[in-house]
Amino acid sequence: MTLTKPILLAEDNPRDAELALAAMEEHHLADKVILCHDGAEVLDYLYCRCPFKTRLQGNPAVVLLDLKMPKVDGLEVLRTIKNDAALKPIPVVMLTSSREERDLVESYALGANAYVVKPVEFHQFLKAVKELGVFWGMINEPPPEALSRATGRST
Amino acid sequence: MGMDEPKPQQVVDADVECVLPTPPWNQRMLTRLSIVLPWVLAFQQRSIEQRVLAGFGLVFAGILVISAISYRNMTVLIRNGHHDQRSHEFIQSLAATGEAIDDAANGHRRFLVTGDESYLAAYNTLRERAPEYIGYLRDLTDVDSIQRGRVAQLEQLISQQLREERAAIDLRNDTGFESVRTMALAGVARTALDSARRLQAQMEQDETKALAQRVIESTTTTRSSIILLIIGALLLFVLLVAVYYLIRHDITARRRIAEELHRRGERLEAANKELEAFSYSVSHDLRAPLRHIDGYASLLTKAASISLDDKAKRYLLTISESATKMGQLIDDLLVFSRMGRQEMLHGTVNLNQLIASVLHDLRHDLQDRTISWTIAQLPDVTGDAAMLRQVFMNLVANAIKFTGTQAQASIEIGSRMNGQDEAVLFVRDNGVGFDMQYANKLFGVFQRLHRADEFEGTGIGLANVRRIMHRHGGKAWAEGALGEGATFYVSLPMARTSA
Repeated sequence: MTLTKPILLAEDNPRDAELALAAMEEHHLADKVILCHDGAEVLDYLYCRCPFKTRLQGNPAVVLLDLKMPKVDGLEVLRTIKNDAALKPIPVVMLTSSREERDLVESYALGANAYVVKPVEFHQFLKAVKELGVFWGMINEPPPEALSRATGRST
Repeated sequence: MGMDEPKPQQVVDADVECVLPTPPWNQRMLTRLSIVLPWVLAFQQRSIEQRVLAGFGLVFAGILVISAISYRNMTVLIRNGHHDQRSHEFIQSLAATGEAIDDAANGHRRFLVTGDESYLAAYNTLRERAPEYIGYLRDLTDVDSIQRGRVAQLEQLISQQLREERAAIDLRNDTGFESVRTMALAGVARTALDSARRLQAQMEQDETKALAQRVIESTTTTRSSIILLIIGALLLFVLLVAVYYLIRHDITARRRIAEELHRRGERLEAANKELEAFSYSVSHDLRAPLRHIDGYASLLTKAASISLDDKAKRYLLTISESATKMGQLIDDLLVFSRMGRQEMLHGTVNLNQLIASVLHDLRHDLQDRTISWTIAQLPDVTGDAAMLRQVFMNLVANAIKFTGTQAQASIEIGSRMNGQDEAVLFVRDNGVGFDMQYANKLFGVFQRLHRADEFEGTGIGLANVRRIMHRHGGKAWAEGALGEGATFYVSLPMARTSA
């Protein structure tokens, strides 16, 4: 199994980002990770706006979304993705510190594909991130590009 | 009522302070106060309902007294009115009788002189009607009264007069004028007539006197009635005003309390919202740095594993463990705080199924353990299934944990009924137990009776149990002895078996 599509990681905290990347590194997935530092950047990437104007076409294999982010928060990004027919097929996994019920309820109501609470223990965190990367990046079959484009055109 | 209580104290204080400077006046006032004050104090200690009731009771009693007195006075007035009318009739009849007697006497005298029988008309009338007059007069007097006796006397006098006059008439008719000449000149039945006239005058005078007395009595009664009514009305008015002020005071106090409650409710809601925001931020922001501590410590261990000696590695491990431990504490605290706020979903809970599922979840802790289980048939209870599950999860996990050092561990789960509506459930173990003097500490947040290296745990489990039981309207308590095991009890309202 080889990973063709990138994993989009939205994480405002540089330490969390570094730890996540370290976890990905264990499975040699780190070079496939595109790191965004806030919600606005995620949307810029998805809509190919600057600074991602020149990036390769196509959606990421998965978006790993933190809930609390500056500018545009995780739930707002999720809402935008799931309300856009072209972006809707992208799997979105909430990766957050919050175990609050209302966050869970709201995320699933907006169409999140999974909800993962970041474990405090690093080994657990490592395992969780690795498994996410492996599952969404390698095991899971992403939606065909044609589907997004076709629906994208029709809207 | 709660607000009224401090008042008597204030009254006493104020009086003592203000009367001190002037001793003589003070003495007098104090005696007067010592009579009134106990009443005032007793009255002020009563609840507003009792005071209003007392007020209305007084008003009602006042109305009753005034009514009774007025009724009595009216009866007296009516009776006097009757008597007056009778007296007037009596006086009139007496006059008429007197006139009839005089007429008869005068007519009789003329007959004796002239022999003309037509002059005897008045005499005949008297003779015929005397019983009628007397009967009439008798009816107008009271039985056994002096006047009644006098009427009888008058009757005798009239019959005596009539008898003597009859004798004179017969004499005149038989023997002519000459034989009755002296009688005609001096008058017949003089003594009887004089007595009758005197008697009549006496009767009239007495009756008039009685009449006058009754008029005075009636006037007095009327006047006292009016005064009584005025005083009564004034008193009732004052009482009603007092009651009105009492009620108004109470209503104002209640309104104030209601407003205060409303304000506090709002403040409480705001505080609750703040708390929610706080715990959200704790859950989200406090975990991140802990994750970083553990993460970087692990990364460091890995990156410098060759150059680090065992001591340094142990330090790093301790850093990681502490961070993890703190993460666990935060999680537990959040669960505890959520347990207090979370909305409850009431339903009937099958405790047998619940215990089975708890044991299923704890199967990992039960590996490599030999425990003899005694689980009784448990009743259905009413409550929030998820919360109750947490209660038994904690209690059973504790029992498993604290029997860990026991070679022959045994755990019993059972129930007993406490009356009709309450079920008491217990989890008993033969583990390390606890000293009863710390029984209350067991249920406190982060309270532990064992060292961390003896038994693991954060010390939040039993705090959660107690909080959940309180929210169910139940209780949680424990019994035990050091080294002899422990029994944890929870009481719950029973599920109503609907037919």
